[in-house]
Amino acid sequence: MTKDELTGYIMQHFSGRLERIENDQPEPYFIVHCDDLTAFARFIHDDPKLLMNFLMNLSAVDTKERFEMVYNVCSYPLKHRLYVKTVLDRDHPEVDTVMGVWPAANWYEREAWELFGIAVRNHPDLTRFLLPDDWNEGHPLRKDWVGKDVVPFPER
Amino acid sequence: MIRKFPVYVEKLPGGNLVATKVNDVFNLTRAKSLWYLLFGTACCAIELMATGASRYDFDRLGMIFRASPRQSDLMIVAGTITLKMAPVVKRLYDQMAEPRYVLAMGGCAIGGGPFYYDSYAVLKGIDKIIPVDVYVPGCPPRPESLLQGCLEVGRKIRTQKMEEWS
Repeated sequence: MTKDELTGYIMQHFSGRLERIENDQPEPYFIVHCDDLTAFARFIHDDPKLLMNFLMNLSAVDTKERFEMVYNVCSYPLKHRLYVKTVLDRDHPEVDTVMGVWPAANWYEREAWELFGIAVRNHPDLTRFLLPDDWNEGHPLRKDWVGKDVVPFPER
Repeated sequence: MIRKFPVYVEKLPGGNLVATKVNDVFNLTRAKSLWYLLFGTACCAIELMATGASRYDFDRLGMIFRASPRQSDLMIVAGTITLKMAPVVKRLYDQMAEPRYVLAMGGCAIGGGPFYYDSYAVLKGIDKIIPVDVYVPGCPPRPESLLQGCLEVGRKIRTQKMEEWS
């Protein structure tokens, strides 16, 4: 499906809080509300015209006012892609796991927990695996994190 | 026993000469046949592999790679060492048999390299955990630089006395 067909189909058939963002890339870009995320994931995975069965990337973003989780999904049989993100609260970021739809999200969500502090509900094993085993200094990729041994880049 | 060898031999007539010459022979053989531990972590490992390949050969200097620290006497630390990898480096260094030497290859092993600033997870130089003999700068160093670094290790070995092999 082309970008416009995809956008039109999704906006028509999904009953949830969804918003479209204008962009110049060949893939459509949506923002979905964090409570409707699992339903949206299930919809784009199971629908026979969409069949998005490949989660390419899951990353977390920290703009200083809020957290965002960005999902890049793709479809092998129908060869189209889509980007979707959810917006989370800055003080208590929590999101539901999408492992029921794409099991590959396991390690991505663990990474988001470890480096950002985004708690993922219903995750089977939310433990540290990237940082050293005796790490107790917080979540490093947050914008307001200050480390002990970090040497800041000198300003000119 | 090797370290006490000069003490006993010097008591014989002409013993000093024998001790020196034996020392020189041992050092020469050690310097010309440095077996190095394959320890490549990041981009410098590619340069290490390139130096060991056919155009810039390590084998013509007698240097063969060994996979196990127990069978090697030079550890070329090639690549970025993170805080999670640092105990592993220390453990491998402890497992090498003496006399052992360490060559820090590339900016990251010398002092953190391009990741010195603004990084929460990079160990800023391996000389914080193990003693280093030769530093080869570069990001990554050219194979000719690495070959010069290995020859410097050889030169250092040939100036050592038998009592201080460690």
